[in-house]
Amino acid sequence: MSATQVIPASSSLSQNQIQHLEKAQSLTQIVYNQFKEHKAAVFGAYTILFFVIIALSAPLIEAVTGLDSDSQNVFNRYKPPFSAVKAGTDVREHAIQQFIEQNPQVAADLQKQLLDKKIVTSAKPEDALYDWASLDKAQAIQALNQIDSAAKTDLKKIAQKFESFHILGTDELGRDVMMRLIYGTRISMGVGILVALASSLIGLLIGALAGFYGGVLDTVLMRVTDALLSLPLMPVLIVVAAIDLQKIPFIKALISSGNESILKLVFILCLFSWMTVARLVRGSILSLREREFILASKTLGATDFTVITRHMFPNVIAPMLVSVTLGVGESILFEAALSYLGLGIQPPTPSWGNMLFNAQELIYQAPFLAILPGVLILLVTISFNYLGDGLQDAIDPKAIRR
Amino acid sequence: MITFILRRVVQTLVVIILLSYVCFGLMTLMPGDPVEMMISANPRITAEDVVRLRTFYGLDQPIYKRYANWVSDIAQGELGYSRTYRIPVTEMMGPALTSTFVLSMCSLAFSLIVAIPLGIICALKPNSRLDYIVNLFNFAGISVPSFWLGIVLIIIFAVNLGWLPAGGYQTTGLQYTSWFHEMADKSKYLILPMLSLSIQSIGRFSRFTRSAMLEAMRNDFIRTARAKGLSRNVVVWKHGFRNALIPLITIVAISLSSIFSGALITETLFAYPGVGRLIYSSIMGNDFNVAMVSFVISVSMVLVMNLVADLLYGVVDPRISFN
Repeated sequence: MSATQVIPASSSLSQNQIQHLEKAQSLTQIVYNQFKEHKAAVFGAYTILFFVIIALSAPLIEAVTGLDSDSQNVFNRYKPPFSAVKAGTDVREHAIQQFIEQNPQVAADLQKQLLDKKIVTSAKPEDALYDWASLDKAQAIQALNQIDSAAKTDLKKIAQKFESFHILGTDELGRDVMMRLIYGTRISMGVGILVALASSLIGLLIGALAGFYGGVLDTVLMRVTDALLSLPLMPVLIVVAAIDLQKIPFIKALISSGNESILKLVFILCLFSWMTVARLVRGSILSLREREFILASKTLGATDFTVITRHMFPNVIAPMLVSVTLGVGESILFEAALSYLGLGIQPPTPSWGNMLFNAQELIYQAPFLAILPGVLILLVTISFNYLGDGLQDAIDPKAIRR
Repeated sequence: MITFILRRVVQTLVVIILLSYVCFGLMTLMPGDPVEMMISANPRITAEDVVRLRTFYGLDQPIYKRYANWVSDIAQGELGYSRTYRIPVTEMMGPALTSTFVLSMCSLAFSLIVAIPLGIICALKPNSRLDYIVNLFNFAGISVPSFWLGIVLIIIFAVNLGWLPAGGYQTTGLQYTSWFHEMADKSKYLILPMLSLSIQSIGRFSRFTRSAMLEAMRNDFIRTARAKGLSRNVVVWKHGFRNALIPLITIVAISLSSIFSGALITETLFAYPGVGRLIYSSIMGNDFNVAMVSFVISVSMVLVMNLVADLLYGVVDPRISFN
């Protein structure tokens, strides 16, 4: 506080303002107000919210646009953004075949009508529907309008699939890039958040044990923490990620589904990212241990468990929150790097990292494909980092004073 | 002091031994058992041959015995052969370690040269527009996936502009006429990997320099120096920066291992023949002997560098006592 600052006389303030000043603010309010001043952090929070909504509504988007992230179309690889793509004949004929099998009578009627109205000129009536299917989407729908049949709407739905519009183009297997990015959001952010939360729980546990009990336990746990912190993470992650889980009998029985690579990645990343939280928690608990309220609760006969969980954890949550937020960004980066090297999330499950797996080969054919997932990774990671920075500023009591 | 050094050396050794043992165990869990690969390559191998081969390669023994054998081989300077290239591992390790060392040190030097002035400028004018721009750049730097940045750099500088090579180590088939010629050619290949490897450390160092410098400039002796009439340059560099240097050295020492981590990805991306790429390609190619040796040697090097940095710490700041 500088001495030159003039403290306004109370008469210049309205009654409302005085009341507002006199009212005690809760800690959350102070933190929230402080957080709001960090514009970049607020922006980051909104960006994260946006991506979370996108990730949660992925099936909805799939239903509305009629595109899915898995259907391949090898004749339409590497289409640029904003391109319409015709479905291959195999896809069309398969749809028609299914339609005929499901309702043969309607199909026969339709075939007759198609031939009568001279929309198609097939040699055999059985071929009529297939010939209709080989028309362009617009022509096919126009043709349908001339016919009256109960199954018109069903056929129109089939015709809709003859052509698909890809806002962000298609990838090396002709899959829709936008849908893959949206589903990739689920995986990448999901893995990031899950790893950050799980590893912070591990860190909380280890830090609390080391800090509270001290002695040999503290020495051992902190040596392990220091050792893991000093390792170059990427080579270690690669060695661990390269192991074949099928060779471990116990785990083999535990996971057999297609999510194996996701679980494995989460597990591996957790294994090597709890250390910062552990050190942080240990530090806070060491200083908390000497405080009077801890002594008071011990004197009242509280068990160690109660002291740690009820009295110490609430005091370490705030700094932990910052490190969890920063951890999400870091985990997303590690997931991307491992998937890029082919050791993370395995295709066909899309993640932002494995969409870049063969990005190097794409730089001549489709540079757009090599750039887009990276932009999303950058955007989300930077948002989490700014959010963490904002939270840190908001929680730090020194910052509140300023 | 002596006890501190001894304790740290013993700690580092224990970590290296434990890590190499764990790594040895993990290698057996990787797909691609050497004998199984021989079986798939040669259908005429009988069951007796398999047993004989397993005994021959010592694969029938428990892991700790195999590990002990391996360590005694290493201790005798016997690093074994690469299964893929059929050459001794020693021949591969030397050049790879040199390349990685050159790349990492160039990147470290470059990031310090860029980051320190940026951080100081921001600290001298906190909350200015420049500060905000640099801050955004720093955040982008620590948030960008380095491999992706490498791809973008390749697209811009190698594909579109054609100024720099997209990857490699030196121009193939080129006969060097002089020492300078060699340097010029190799440094051309070094620029893009160095840039993509540096960006993260630039962001981190610059943020750190800024906060350390802000802290240092708040000291009373800075005001005294100013009041004494010293020039701005002297105050900033001699009084301010010197004090900001101490926390900066810590972060640089910690960053060594993360720079090496990043080098693995950068080397793989740019096909730069360093030890990181060697670890990756040997693991992917089931060349376990190479993987094991290169992994243990490179991790040990990082740990030893951390140890040296820890010891140097006391030299830089005499206030720190090791007791």
